Amino acid sequence: MHFSPLPYLDPGSGSLIIQIVIAALLGLGVALRASWGSIKKMFGVKPKVEDDDTDGDSK
Amino acid sequence: MATPSNGQLSASFRDPSGFLFSRNGILYRQINRAYAEDYARLMDSGLYEKLVKANLLIPHVEVDQAAADVKREAAFKIIQPERAPFISYPYEWSFSQLKDAALATLSIHKRALKLGMSLKDASAYNIQFVRGKAMLIDTLSFEIYKEGEPWTAYKQFCQHFLAPLALMSYRDIRLSQLLRVYIDGVPLDLASALLPFKTKFNFGLLTHIHIHAGSQKRYSDKAVEQPRKGSMSQQAMIGLIENLESTVKKLSWTPAGTEWGAYYDATNYSDAAFEHKKQLVHEWTVEKKPALVWDLGGNTGVFSREAAASGAFTVSFDIDPAAVEQNYQVVKKNKEQNLLPLVLDLTNPSPAIGWDHVERDSFGQRGPADMALALAVIHHLAISNNVPLAQLAQFFAARAKWLVIEFVPKSDSQVKRLLASRKDIFPDYSKDGFEAAFKEYFKIHKVEAVKDSERHLYLMECVSGK
Repeated sequence: MHFSPLPYLDPGSGSLIIQIVIAALLGLGVALRASWGSIKKMFGVKPKVEDDDTDGDSK
Repeated sequence: MATPSNGQLSASFRDPSGFLFSRNGILYRQINRAYAEDYARLMDSGLYEKLVKANLLIPHVEVDQAAADVKREAAFKIIQPERAPFISYPYEWSFSQLKDAALATLSIHKRALKLGMSLKDASAYNIQFVRGKAMLIDTLSFEIYKEGEPWTAYKQFCQHFLAPLALMSYRDIRLSQLLRVYIDGVPLDLASALLPFKTKFNFGLLTHIHIHAGSQKRYSDKAVEQPRKGSMSQQAMIGLIENLESTVKKLSWTPAGTEWGAYYDATNYSDAAFEHKKQLVHEWTVEKKPALVWDLGGNTGVFSREAAASGAFTVSFDIDPAAVEQNYQVVKKNKEQNLLPLVLDLTNPSPAIGWDHVERDSFGQRGPADMALALAVIHHLAISNNVPLAQLAQFFAARAKWLVIEFVPKSDSQVKRLLASRKDIFPDYSKDGFEAAFKEYFKIHKVEAVKDSERHLYLMECVSGK
């Protein structure tokens, strides 16, 4: 099954393949961080609240 | 931008979701039926409101206007976006402007993912500086996110943002000009070849540029099956975006060889002359009330700020990326909303580029302004760049209705320095010669001798039909 509809930008075969590989690796990091967060939570450490209403400026 | 008969703007022809058009001087965006579902999700999910509140997306209103496409079948809605006061391009931005535009793009994509949408393109040309903030101006850049799909705009993000930022940071700030040559961003194989070897020890640059470039090369001549559905989890997507974000955040540039804040120390201004000039610019902008001012040779923006204080939207152009960077830092620090610093070489200004020369406007096409400031710049153009005074007058006449221009005579130490190493082939370069040349196009309203200097400041009005 392919994606549909196809994007109007050509994402590039090489770019798509490497993106999936890199992202899989980085996704592991996100998963580890999440489970580390829940371990900390078990010990009563409050998770950091993500600041969502600021803009994208570099500081 | 050039406009075909239906008013459609030529910069927006690629996207089947809709296009920009101009009618009676007002800018509208037609949304096509093909995009109806995505548009509804943008508005109903709260994403639009959230992004507008965070100053990341240009606000718009839905209007009751006839469609602009010929058959009028494609049209779903017409919206009127807030108009950016001046359209600028990434090859005119300082390092931090490009960096802020990159971070804004990633931030928008991340917020969109949380509400079930995705940013379908990551073009630097979709970002403009509005009220001092890097903002997405293409309302149709969102699509409904399907869990499992990779980010379509990944390649574009790397080419438009990451590669030029890395080159500017690690190699040379002037490489931002590659964006002027490559309209779809710096090719990654070129970036990879130009970046120093040590960037291979930076995980983000190693993967997103060097390995990415290798993968593009490896698959360039192979027909690859589209990846299977579900090939990239949302968690993986977030990991990717956060890594791009941290890679961009770590890139920095500090101007070398320029003393920040010491720009005016090297000139021969006395404090009195400097203050007098500021006062004159202030008085004349308050008097003429221009809506749009172009400060040509604006340096770090000291005089641009006098114009901006009069209420004018002021674009402060300078050739020196370090001066523009410093100017932008001040804009951010003071949250200035009506001043835009840009990098521009007046002797070779931005050309019209892209398909049929109509995708990106030249510097000249984006004018004229209501008022131009040309302070301490004429000797650079006339003497360093050998432009005859008559042609300078013609150039400024095409830029603005009002002109505030400083004449710097040969007896001034700055001009003496320019002439020290070359033959003086400028017999006409005198106050009289200058006035005679400019009177061909302008009416001189005011002439003030700048205190404590040999310079004169003029207020002129363009009277010739351009």
